[in-house]
Amino acid sequence: MKPRIFNQLFFWPWGILSVLCLAVLAVFVVYPIGVITLSSLRTPDGGFSLSGFVTVLTDSKYLQAIFNTLLLSALVTTCTVLLGVPFAYIVARFDFPFKNWVAILPIATIIIPEVIVGQSWLLLLGNNGILTNALRSIGIDSPSFYGWGGLIFSMTLIYYTYIYLGMLAALRGFDGQLEEASMSLGATPLMTQFKVMLPTVAPAILVNALVVFTLVVGNFALSSMLGAQIPLLSVMTYSMFISEMGSSPVLQSSLSVVSIAMVAVVLFVQKKWVESKMVQMTQGRAPAPKRVRSWQSIMFTIFVVMVVAMSLMPLIAVFIGALTEARGPVMHWGQWSTRSLERALSFAPEPIINSIIFAACATCIGTVFAVLVSYLVVKKKSPISGWLDYAVVMPLTISGTVLGIGLVQTFNSGYLVLTGTAFIMVLCYVVRRLPFGVRNASSVLYNIPSSIEEASISLGVTPFKTFIKIILPVMKSSIFSAAILMWVTSISELSASIVVYTGGLETMPVAIFRQVDTGRLGLASAYGSVLVTLILVPVVFAVKFLKINLFSVK
Amino acid sequence: MAKISIQNLTKRFEGQTVLQALSLTIEEGSFFTLLGPSGCGKTTLLRCLAGFNAPDEGHIFFDQDDMTHVPAHLRNIGMVFQDYALFPDKTIFDNVAYGLRARKIDKDEVIQRSFQALDLVGLKHLDKRLPAQLSGGQRQRVALARALVIKPRVLLMDEPLSNLDAKLRLSMRDMILDLQKQFGITTVFVTHDQEEALAMSDQVALMQSGQVAQMGMPSYLYEEPQNAYVADFIGSANLVPVKVVHAGQVEVAGQQLSADTTMARSGVELRLVLRPETLKLSPSRQDVANAVAVEIKSRQYLGAKTSYRVALQDGTLLHVEQLGNAQFSIKDTVFLSIPSNSRVVML
Repeated sequence: MKPRIFNQLFFWPWGILSVLCLAVLAVFVVYPIGVITLSSLRTPDGGFSLSGFVTVLTDSKYLQAIFNTLLLSALVTTCTVLLGVPFAYIVARFDFPFKNWVAILPIATIIIPEVIVGQSWLLLLGNNGILTNALRSIGIDSPSFYGWGGLIFSMTLIYYTYIYLGMLAALRGFDGQLEEASMSLGATPLMTQFKVMLPTVAPAILVNALVVFTLVVGNFALSSMLGAQIPLLSVMTYSMFISEMGSSPVLQSSLSVVSIAMVAVVLFVQKKWVESKMVQMTQGRAPAPKRVRSWQSIMFTIFVVMVVAMSLMPLIAVFIGALTEARGPVMHWGQWSTRSLERALSFAPEPIINSIIFAACATCIGTVFAVLVSYLVVKKKSPISGWLDYAVVMPLTISGTVLGIGLVQTFNSGYLVLTGTAFIMVLCYVVRRLPFGVRNASSVLYNIPSSIEEASISLGVTPFKTFIKIILPVMKSSIFSAAILMWVTSISELSASIVVYTGGLETMPVAIFRQVDTGRLGLASAYGSVLVTLILVPVVFAVKFLKINLFSVK
Repeated sequence: MAKISIQNLTKRFEGQTVLQALSLTIEEGSFFTLLGPSGCGKTTLLRCLAGFNAPDEGHIFFDQDDMTHVPAHLRNIGMVFQDYALFPDKTIFDNVAYGLRARKIDKDEVIQRSFQALDLVGLKHLDKRLPAQLSGGQRQRVALARALVIKPRVLLMDEPLSNLDAKLRLSMRDMILDLQKQFGITTVFVTHDQEEALAMSDQVALMQSGQVAQMGMPSYLYEEPQNAYVADFIGSANLVPVKVVHAGQVEVAGQQLSADTTMARSGVELRLVLRPETLKLSPSRQDVANAVAVEIKSRQYLGAKTSYRVALQDGTLLHVEQLGNAQFSIKDTVFLSIPSNSRVVML
């Protein structure tokens, strides 16, 4: 019996690889979370104390931030549902002019960096924005964009995409015969929508709503740029980190643990409760979209085009900003100039170079690691791969800010000092993207039957060579799309970068954030337009020329 | 080509015993079928032979070589899968050549042998296609060529015909048998289709919860079932509760009939095996021997034959098939004669 168990655990290469992957995750994901949790319970002299949590949960300043964060998350989630659900329903069920063009564009909002979104809305609606100035010139004083309104507005226009895509997928999988069955049994069309369709798609809406909720809780870029005087958890955690530098990290850790707990609760609810309510469609043939005419078609077209145009506005605004004459904080709208761009490209190109190098490294490491881990989890089931499965989803509970704080606290001293190195930047990107990369690769692997691997092995090829010669080629296009998404998210990452970067490691999003902070929207737009270009070019190339289905939406 | 010996093979999955100290021998060059319902362990046994499942106890020999712990890729087996398992991104030719290339065989020989194998299954002209461009039957033929081209010691087939439609299945049967005989290769074939098993095999092992229920030539399993499970699974059979009066004499629904009682033991529940096509219906008792009165309950005209459902006096329903058109009507009372060599088996 003994040698067999030994074989199962350490059989080359999968056993060893599983152990190695688990070790890497333990050091870079589990351990930092542990360090944060422990340091939230420590007194300055090393003893044990709950004082951090007592402060956070009694001081009205922190309670207010927690309350605001929850309120903001709830409001944004509600708005995204109100916007995303009808949008998806119209696209799935009706045919109207320009539909096929408009239906895929919301996906683009996923790849626009949040820092660009924040900056662009400030360009348009900020105190010195294009629209603000235009309105002021005709005598209308628009309300300040900083604060609740701006936060909810800009976040809704990004995050509705998650609801839209989830709802669209659910509607496309919905068996139209169920509706016909309901109506043949005497239910009115309206009753059918509410009693038959809604219950089957509701879990999909709820799952994505919870995703949006966690994204808002963890959001740093918009919260910080547009939040103004509203205390929010992520921003407060960050400023606590900045002010506590060097002293005891109790408060930043306590706030981090609070945000981890909030997200963990939501994810737990999602896993246990919502997924049990998921309805499996036995056969799904969605009803064909209905052709609409006249006023109805005009209305639908206007609604959909408006939403898409507004959510893609930042892309245009950032280029306008980059090409506008800027002197210090003052933008001279209507006067075109390439000076900001020239400054970014020739005098201060360091953030651009850093971003490209870090994102490239993260893309290579992250893609390889995600493919390997998902292969071990899906195809080489063992007790160790079960633990791997848990470890890779842990980053979902940590916002970028918290991850950054965890890594800085953990690798500041001791055997492995990473703070201040480029590696810690790359590490942030890899860890943040890991759960998504693994999830995508796993879904592809589940669809590859084990029999083709076994066929290769039975023909005399070792299991490891089989992985290289059979599995990787079959996964080729999904690996490629994983790599592009990894590149896109890495190059636009802000919330962890802003915590871990030190002099010389500044990336484009950090530079944009800092320029916006000091009011220099021109230079910020210049970096922004470079960033957007670096994101759009590979995405367009992949979709257009390699025919890669990046977002698994038709 | 090899003789396969399986000795006391036991396999458990999470505490559940799937194979239970199973032993059997497969003669060199024979076509051997593992037959049984899903969950009987037939596929697990095949996968143990292939090296994809490691047995917990027992041994597997190919001739004198103990293969029990030899890794799958070193066993030199040819395997054909239910879902064909062709490499989707490789051409038909590359699929077939894959195993030869893994063996570092000289390039010219790879080309020559691969085309030869494709020719055998009649697909030489499709060498540049991708698997997705082939029909199901063609894909399975490629899979067969790919398994045979490496000249494996044994050929393992896991329900290779179950994804094909009925007509295709018949022609694939012939092709598999032809090639198997031509190569003289020891073949282990897994199926749940008893007709397929009877038609193709030299030997059949009918399995039941991880053990061999009965093994032998197809005619042996059909004609001399050892118990009710075998009688029921192979062909169709009415299993009628009986009491043995004395040797050669049984009581069915209150009537005494002669039957083969050599398998009967006292103190256990017994069943009389009545194959529908061996039973005979006639309007009067004089015409037939060894008969019992039945009432016609329903009938279905099937062209070459007519299928009846008849009831014994105690209400037991039997299925009877008669050649030709229907002679009897529903509610007729007629006489059912049974062959006197009908077997009594244990439940």
